[in-house]
Amino acid sequence: MISDWSTSAPAIAAAFFASLVEVVEAFTILLAVATLRGWRPATFGAAGALAVLAVIVVALGPLLDLVPLGILQLVIGVLLLLFGIGWLRKASLRAAGVMSLHDEDAIYAKETETLSEEMARRKTSLDWISAIAAFKAVLLEGLEVVFIVIAVGAGRGLLGPASLGAAAACALVLVIGAFIHKPLSRVPENTLKFGVGVMLSAFGVFWTGEGLGIDWPGHDLALFVFAALFLSAGLLAARLARTIATEAAS
Amino acid sequence: MTVLKDVLSELFSMFVADARLTISILAVVAVAALLIDAAHVAAIAAGALLLVGCLAVLLAAVLREARRR
Repeated sequence: MISDWSTSAPAIAAAFFASLVEVVEAFTILLAVATLRGWRPATFGAAGALAVLAVIVVALGPLLDLVPLGILQLVIGVLLLLFGIGWLRKASLRAAGVMSLHDEDAIYAKETETLSEEMARRKTSLDWISAIAAFKAVLLEGLEVVFIVIAVGAGRGLLGPASLGAAAACALVLVIGAFIHKPLSRVPENTLKFGVGVMLSAFGVFWTGEGLGIDWPGHDLALFVFAALFLSAGLLAARLARTIATEAAS
Repeated sequence: MTVLKDVLSELFSMFVADARLTISILAVVAVAALLIDAAHVAAIAAGALLLVGCLAVLLAAVLREARRR
């Protein structure tokens, strides 16, 4: 029971927080589209993207069952390492002030401006242009959600709990977004990305190791040790990067 | 066509945001795999190398980017 919880809790948490980041980003674009052309094209585009994502999931599911578990763990583990350490690198640089923070208000303003320009250039099918923008935003961010759910869930039959985590994040953003009707700029996105980068990197080392035939001491509990080490390394990296940036500026 | 191009570009950037980071991670995994399969080193030692290697790659990538900017 402890082992089940120690594996499923990080999978659910990783899927929830990673999806939260992606859904907030998609929601910003949807809101820009809805503000300019109303919710109809925004909903139409988002529904189309969700349908494409559903087809991808339905097509990929049976294929994953055909891949031997060791190879699946190795491939997913390596992809998680690439994705997770990439996120952690960016989050550390942002925490150090070396890279600028992700600003949902600025993205919303830029998207609104880009869409307005596009609509001014093409006088016809304005709803169509808006729907395509919504479609692309949901599809691109949704692909990352699908990958994360598969990556943290497929290695040990946790696709259900991981999907639940992602669905909870979608529901939360939609409910909050429906109430405040503004970009969710107060979400501490870099802190979330830092945490998700830590979790995905820990999963990456865990699955890659299992795929290579490594029997980790403590089994699933090793995930927590890996996460603690990646968290420490990320914080240390941010601190050292801040020192480098300060020295360069002075 | 633009949507497809954007999707492929997004998928590529998901895993190859920084080419040196990607190559370094793949190298660490390859070395760990070789230690187990070719050098018959104890799997747990290769696992330790995989973990420490990934932590080192992260630190190096952040510091390299901080110095570059």
